[in-house]
Amino acid sequence: MSGARIVFDDVSRFYGEVLGVNRVSLSIPEGITSLVGPNGSGKSTLMNLMTGLIRPTQGTVSVLGIPCDRPDKLFREVGYCTQYDSFPSSLTGYEFLHSYLLLHGMTSSEAEKLTWEALERINLTGAAKRRVAGYSKGMRQRVKLAQALAHNPRVLVLDEPLNGLDPMARAETLALFRQLGEEGRHVVVSSHILHEVDRISDQVILLSNGYVVAEGRIQGVRSEVKEHPMQILVRCNRPGELAAKLFGHEQVVEAKLHADGAGLHVRTRDADSFYLLLNQVVLDAGLEVEKVAPADEDVNSVYEYLIGSEGGSQ
Amino acid sequence: MAVYKKSYRGYEGPLTRERSRFLIIPRYAFEEMRRSRFFTSFFLATLINPLVCALIIYLHHNFSALEVMGIQPDQIVAIDGAFFGFYLGFQSMLAFFLTAFIGPGLVSPDLANNAIPLYLARPFNRTDYVLGKMSVLLILLSIMTWVPGLLLFSLQSYLEGTAWLGDNLRLAAALFLGSWVWMLVLSLLILAISAWVKWKPIAGGLLFVVFFAGGGFAAAINEILRTKWGHLINLNHIVGSIWIWLFKGSLESSGGAVFFGVQRGEELPVWTAWTGLLVLCAICLRLLGKKIRGVEVAP
Repeated sequence: MSGARIVFDDVSRFYGEVLGVNRVSLSIPEGITSLVGPNGSGKSTLMNLMTGLIRPTQGTVSVLGIPCDRPDKLFREVGYCTQYDSFPSSLTGYEFLHSYLLLHGMTSSEAEKLTWEALERINLTGAAKRRVAGYSKGMRQRVKLAQALAHNPRVLVLDEPLNGLDPMARAETLALFRQLGEEGRHVVVSSHILHEVDRISDQVILLSNGYVVAEGRIQGVRSEVKEHPMQILVRCNRPGELAAKLFGHEQVVEAKLHADGAGLHVRTRDADSFYLLLNQVVLDAGLEVEKVAPADEDVNSVYEYLIGSEGGSQ
Repeated sequence: MAVYKKSYRGYEGPLTRERSRFLIIPRYAFEEMRRSRFFTSFFLATLINPLVCALIIYLHHNFSALEVMGIQPDQIVAIDGAFFGFYLGFQSMLAFFLTAFIGPGLVSPDLANNAIPLYLARPFNRTDYVLGKMSVLLILLSIMTWVPGLLLFSLQSYLEGTAWLGDNLRLAAALFLGSWVWMLVLSLLILAISAWVKWKPIAGGLLFVVFFAGGGFAAAINEILRTKWGHLINLNHIVGSIWIWLFKGSLESSGGAVFFGVQRGEELPVWTAWTGLLVLCAICLRLLGKKIRGVEVAP
């Protein structure tokens, strides 16, 4: 099983006396995994560990069964996009991708083919022959992404890949991540844009001060946070009446009318019982329900519950 | 967990040889240099001296041409160890300037822009990176020093005959090894300096400082302690001592004496010069190893 996963086994990494990450054990499956945490929480350290750019002080890291101290094998399977804007100033977008494919060991003709495929994938064929130094921030981010995926890796490690992208490019990039995840690849993304990460992630890893605070599917993580009642939004035609009928029941901790007057925010400690109760009340009162959805089952909320104000700024 | 289609297929095409992959770095570096007019002009100018030397060798063997020019054969410079020593010394001086000009642009921009992970996130390690960057200088400096040097030697051997070739084979070895000693010292030094000093003009200037300040310090030590061992920190002296040994020429006339300023009575035993050189290379490699990393390990 570990052959198809990224595995951290009791990994710690210290920079002198400063903690990078501590006692991390993870097993990351295929699909899109988001690393979430404030600056200094250990996201980049985890990414650098899984790409072998730094070695763990303790523990072992393997990617698809390959130890991370074997760059010759590892980087056949891994593509890495750092958070830094780092380009040889005089190269064109095409030359930039082509040169790094040659470093991978592709022949010139294979590298050429893969370069054009990658450029097409990130919608940059039109600017291929322009110097990267003249690219906009968004274009530079995209070409950086292209160099990570040009050699067709099974694992993509992307450090803040959405930074600097305009909304259109961001939507396209997220769609690309989704597509890459659906192809059966591992896409590990760190991002500060939580609501977007939330939309695309199959699983999240929440980090704080070098520790993994929670990991798994976001709904699963949310249900583990017992001390914060779940918030559910019910949109219906008579929210005031619904609130009155729900108040007396023990499943309901709090019920609050939505600001637009067309819905009700309910806090509950037992979501399953609440849904049964809601069915009953709706049928009895003859309410027309438009929507019932968890209101805080997202990365942002979970992060705030688990880490508090520290994550609020993210 | 989603059920994935597993439609992904990795790269399965042919791969080039791992050992020669570092040569991709000079390929792109030369492209960039070619765009600099100053570099192109300077580099072409460095080939004037070999052409002049070739002309001298030719004239040396063409009495009719000398007669036309009104020059007596004994007036023209002799083609011997000193001739080749001068040739190499002059070219090495140009090599020094070229290194100071292009060397700082090889590593420092990558470090300044955090671009090292771009290289190291491939089947490409730190040694490949340093080799690749060094080879940019080594190739250029080779074209300036030992390659034309050996061509001149071949021309002289051809015109003079096999007896001369047999008697002077050591010169060919001296041209080759002397050039490599100089090229390695220059390349390692400038890479190490530019790995630590990211501002290119300062890094280039520091190369001069290392050579000339080292000589000054060495002279001060020698004066105060009344010794000659201070020269161990004088790179000019170390390389010069090795050249004198390689060319087996007299101190007054060999390239080692003229271009590196090694004075009679102050020459170091050749083994100490080699040791000094090895220590210098080790220090440079250590400095490079500290900086050329996938990630800066400072927290």
